[in-house]
Amino acid sequence: MEKIQERIAKIVSERLGVDESEVKKDATFKDDLGADSLDVVELVMELEDEFDLEISDEDAEKIGTVGDVVEYIERHQ
Amino acid sequence: MKMPELKIAHMKPKWPIIQGGMGVGISLSNLASAVSNAGGIGIISGTGLPVDELRSHIRKAREKTQGAGYIGVNCLYAMSDFAVTMKAALEEKVDFIISGAGISRDMYNWGKAYDTPVISIVSSAKLAKMSEKLGAAAVVVEGNEAGGHLGTEEPLFDLLPEIAEAVDIPVIAAGGITSGTDVKRALDCGASGVQMGTRFAASSECDASQSFKEKIIQAKETVLMDSVVGLKGRAIANNFTESIKGDAKLPINKCVSCLKKCSHQYCIYQALLSSMNGDTDNGLVFSGAGVDRVNTIKSVQEIFLDLQNEIAYS
Repeated sequence: MEKIQERIAKIVSERLGVDESEVKKDATFKDDLGADSLDVVELVMELEDEFDLEISDEDAEKIGTVGDVVEYIERHQ
Repeated sequence: MKMPELKIAHMKPKWPIIQGGMGVGISLSNLASAVSNAGGIGIISGTGLPVDELRSHIRKAREKTQGAGYIGVNCLYAMSDFAVTMKAALEEKVDFIISGAGISRDMYNWGKAYDTPVISIVSSAKLAKMSEKLGAAAVVVEGNEAGGHLGTEEPLFDLLPEIAEAVDIPVIAAGGITSGTDVKRALDCGASGVQMGTRFAASSECDASQSFKEKIIQAKETVLMDSVVGLKGRAIANNFTESIKGDAKLPINKCVSCLKKCSHQYCIYQALLSSMNGDTDNGLVFSGAGVDRVNTIKSVQEIFLDLQNEIAYS
C-alpha cells in the first residue's frame, strides 16, 4: 500500500511542481498544491496511465485531496 | 476577400460562421434553424431545457431546415443534467455537440459512440491542446469579450494566434465579434471561422422575447458579474447586476439543483428565465462586449447579407 502512495506522490510532485514532502494525504489539490481544474484533469490522465485504469468524469470530480486519489486507486487496483 | 471554407468533421457550411449557443432559451430551434438556412451553423442551447423539450426543438429545427444544414446542441458541463442532455442530443442525431464551462473527458467517447463530432469551448492553449488530444473536432476560443460565463481574463485577440498555432484542428474565434471587420480580423489571426452570439440575439428569429432583443440593441455596455457557478460572467448592467454586487444574497424561490456546484447567492436559472421572458431589468441578460455595436433587430438572412458586405469592404 505504501508503494501506491509513493508512486502517486511522485506523479503529483512532478506534475504540479511541488516538493514530494508537501504531497500529504490531507493536502487539497486546488488550495494546498495550487492546481487549477486543468491540472487536475491532466493529473487524472497520468494516474490512469500509471495505474492502468479508467477514471470517469463523475469519479474525477470527487477527487479533492491526495488521500482521495490514494483511496480511489487502492479500491480500483 | 474570399472566405475560407470551414470544415469540421462532415460539416461544410457555406459561411464560416457559427451562432453561439445562448441559454436559457435564447437560442432554440427558431434561431438555430434560421442560421443554418442562411448558410451558417446553428446551435440550440441545451442549458436549462428539459430533455423532452430539447428533443422537440431538435426535431423542429430539422423540419425547418428540411434535414439540410447543420444543427448542434450546446451542453454545459457545469449543469447537473449534462450527461442526460448530451445523450438525448446524440440520440436525436444532431450534427455536433459543443461543450464548455468545465472539462469533460467522457463526452468525447460518447460522441465517438454516436459518430458525432464534439467541439470544445476553450480559453487557453493548454486546454485547446488537451481537447485535441482527447478527440475534439474543433475548438471555439472564447476571449474575455464573450457574453455569459467566462474562462479567461484575456482578450480574444491575445489568445487566438497562440491557440491557432498550438493545434491542428479548426479554431473558431469567439467573444466580441459583431461585424464583418471582426470576422476578417479573426480569420487573419489564424481562425478557421467565428462564433457570434450577441448579434444573433438581436434577430427576428431569436427565441427570446421582444423586450430581451430590445434590451440588447439599446445596451451600450456590459459588466462583469460573479456567477454562482464560480466563474465570472459578462452581462448588461441592470437592476439585477446591481443587486448582486458584493455578497448580497437574493431570495431563492425554488432550487431545482440545476448546477453541479452552486454558491446559492441567487438563482441564476430564475434570473436567466426572467430576462428571456422579458423582465430585462430584474433578470440576468448575458451579452458580449460588442453589444454597443448591435443596434437593430434584423432577420438572420439580413445579418448574413450585412456580414458579407462588411467583409467585402473591410
